[in-house]
Amino acid sequence: MNRIETKAFVKEKFSNYYRLSSASIEPPSSLTNREFAFLLFEERMMLRHKGFANTDDFRNMLKTVVPSHVYYSSAHYEKPEEEMEAKGWLGADLVFDIDADHIFTPCGKLHDTWTCTNCGIKGRGAPPENCPNCNGQKFDDKSWPCEICLETTKGETIKLIDVLTKDFGLSPQELTPAFSGHRGYHVHVENEIIQTLDQVARKEIVDYMLGIGLEPKFHGFEEGEGPSLEEHGWRGRIAKGTYEFLLSASAQKLEEMGLKKPVVNSIINQRDKILESWKGRGPWKMKGVGPESWKKIVQKAIENQSVKIDTVVTTDIHRLIRLTNTLHGKTGLKKTTVSVSDIERFDPLKEAVAFKEGTISLLVSEAPEFRLGDERYGPYKNVEVELPTAAALFLLCKGAAQLKEEKPLV
Amino acid sequence: MSRAEKRVEEAILYALVSELQRNEEIEILSFPIAVMMVSTTNDSFLKRRYALAEAKRAYNLLKQENKDKLTQIANTFNWKIRPAKIETVDFLLRFVDFLRNTTGFHETKWKLINRKMLDGEVLLTRDEAARLLAEEVRAHIERRLDTKTGLELPQNITTRVERLQQLFLSRKGKMRTEEMPREIVLDAFPPCIRQLYNTILSGRHISHIGRFALTTFLINSGMTVDNVVDLFRSLSDFNERMTRYQAEHIAGGRGSRTKYIPPKCDTLRTHGVCPGMDEICRRIRHPLAYYKRKLQIMKTVTQTPVAPRA
Repeated sequence: MNRIETKAFVKEKFSNYYRLSSASIEPPSSLTNREFAFLLFEERMMLRHKGFANTDDFRNMLKTVVPSHVYYSSAHYEKPEEEMEAKGWLGADLVFDIDADHIFTPCGKLHDTWTCTNCGIKGRGAPPENCPNCNGQKFDDKSWPCEICLETTKGETIKLIDVLTKDFGLSPQELTPAFSGHRGYHVHVENEIIQTLDQVARKEIVDYMLGIGLEPKFHGFEEGEGPSLEEHGWRGRIAKGTYEFLLSASAQKLEEMGLKKPVVNSIINQRDKILESWKGRGPWKMKGVGPESWKKIVQKAIENQSVKIDTVVTTDIHRLIRLTNTLHGKTGLKKTTVSVSDIERFDPLKEAVAFKEGTISLLVSEAPEFRLGDERYGPYKNVEVELPTAAALFLLCKGAAQLKEEKPLV
Repeated sequence: MSRAEKRVEEAILYALVSELQRNEEIEILSFPIAVMMVSTTNDSFLKRRYALAEAKRAYNLLKQENKDKLTQIANTFNWKIRPAKIETVDFLLRFVDFLRNTTGFHETKWKLINRKMLDGEVLLTRDEAARLLAEEVRAHIERRLDTKTGLELPQNITTRVERLQQLFLSRKGKMRTEEMPREIVLDAFPPCIRQLYNTILSGRHISHIGRFALTTFLINSGMTVDNVVDLFRSLSDFNERMTRYQAEHIAGGRGSRTKYIPPKCDTLRTHGVCPGMDEICRRIRHPLAYYKRKLQIMKTVTQTPVAPRA
């Protein structure tokens, strides 16, 4: 079955979903002030600048258009249907995006593959800058939401929530974390006072999360003094990061970050003392480690404690965001919210499954092992399989499989 | 009326309004008149300068106020602020109010990440609170200056306004920055732009914000849209129509007709475009300012080698 038919098949499944589940799809708050955008299956075109007067109109649109992706503006506008310049910006929710694409994950992303569009050579992991074979620069890449990637992004999300509640004083009720349906999490903050913050102010929030521009002298560093583990905010985080780093870093790692041999030896040989020192005033006065070395160590501590958010999403006050409970066109999974108190136990690959009935026969070209719900599938290579609808759609959406036989379209 | 004129004059000449307080009534009444005078000039540069000068005056006065008074004033601006019971800290201010009033500040001590913050409140000293309030005053005056009065002013005021405008123009001439050279001088590029430029030349991919920074920089330093489009040609995902459209948009030839300038250093740092600072970077805050300064330096260097004649 060719690509177009596969696409029509996926669209038909999405259509079923929107017909049966549209009641579960809540439009965002201040519906009439939001811009909506829909990515279409056929033209791969974005239908933008849509506005809705009420929930019914919006749900009907989903049922008739059957988009592959559904977005709404984090911004509130006077006239959401006008062109950008004429919309009349009123404010925007604060949004954070944590995506496996942008962060280091222990899996090394070996499940991802790339194909050079020029010479056709394939490789694993993130695509290289230049093709090792022909030096080309353009690749088709297939990224997979693996469990390790999702675990890593969840960890960052929990860190983010921690900073938002403790440092920024936001209540858990104001935060809506959600699995995006693909490779990461969003955290949506709806708070009236924050809404009118401009880009510059949001940039400061981004810098706060990422540890950009942090100067140790403002955080209790002064001639052999430093922050302690009990302190709040970045002070405590620097202490915690330093604690973890000095306790676990190997000699090799310490050298790699530019510390001199004698300094490395001092650290390695005094580990017990360092551990003990945290009960008092910290290791900051330690023999054999000078201010330059501390600078490097503290920098590592900041990197370790920073929250790896996407810088563009948060500073963009006109951003389009995927709507909760709508399907992600790259996976067939739905964007799924989770409360702050439940996020630790949250299993995205279970909760985000939208299709729970039936099976589909497929021809899978190539797919790594993956899990959906409680089942594991794959790895597959050029095989025919019959899979539950969710797993099959996942592979079809990923472009890793085709339908086995002609199915009459309803 | 004279005091009003004096207020504006001081703003133009010294960027500071004095604290003259011989007569409270005059002091109070002269302010709205001064605002009206500046407002009718429709000169945004003068408006900014005047608001800044009044804010400095406000800061000098606010510094002398006690905690209760400062709290009261802050409340009139709807700040959520409360006195602190911690040593060396005088106030706790909601972070949103802090952010709103520090976006124009460049000292690192005003960066949110360099503040002590707990439960959404930023710790401040009395002096810092006064400084932030002065900033609020500045923004407040700027807003007032921008509201159209539509009033026909009496002759004696318009004469004074005209005199002030003349005075300002003569000062502004001295403040004007140097014009850009006609040729692009690659050697004067800041490190970030040079890196982006080299990346593009070698046909490698750069981020969206990187492309935006490079294109706006090149257009603003005088490169033609054609040349910018050619530069992007070596990219594997090059699309001439799209690139041209975006370059023209940035140059102000399309859509909203706004001419875009590159993001500030600070923003480039946030988005990971800044490759690290060199000596000149430490003295500027914007890639274009770097470019101008470097050109200046290069000019002086090329001019000096001439041996002094006896």
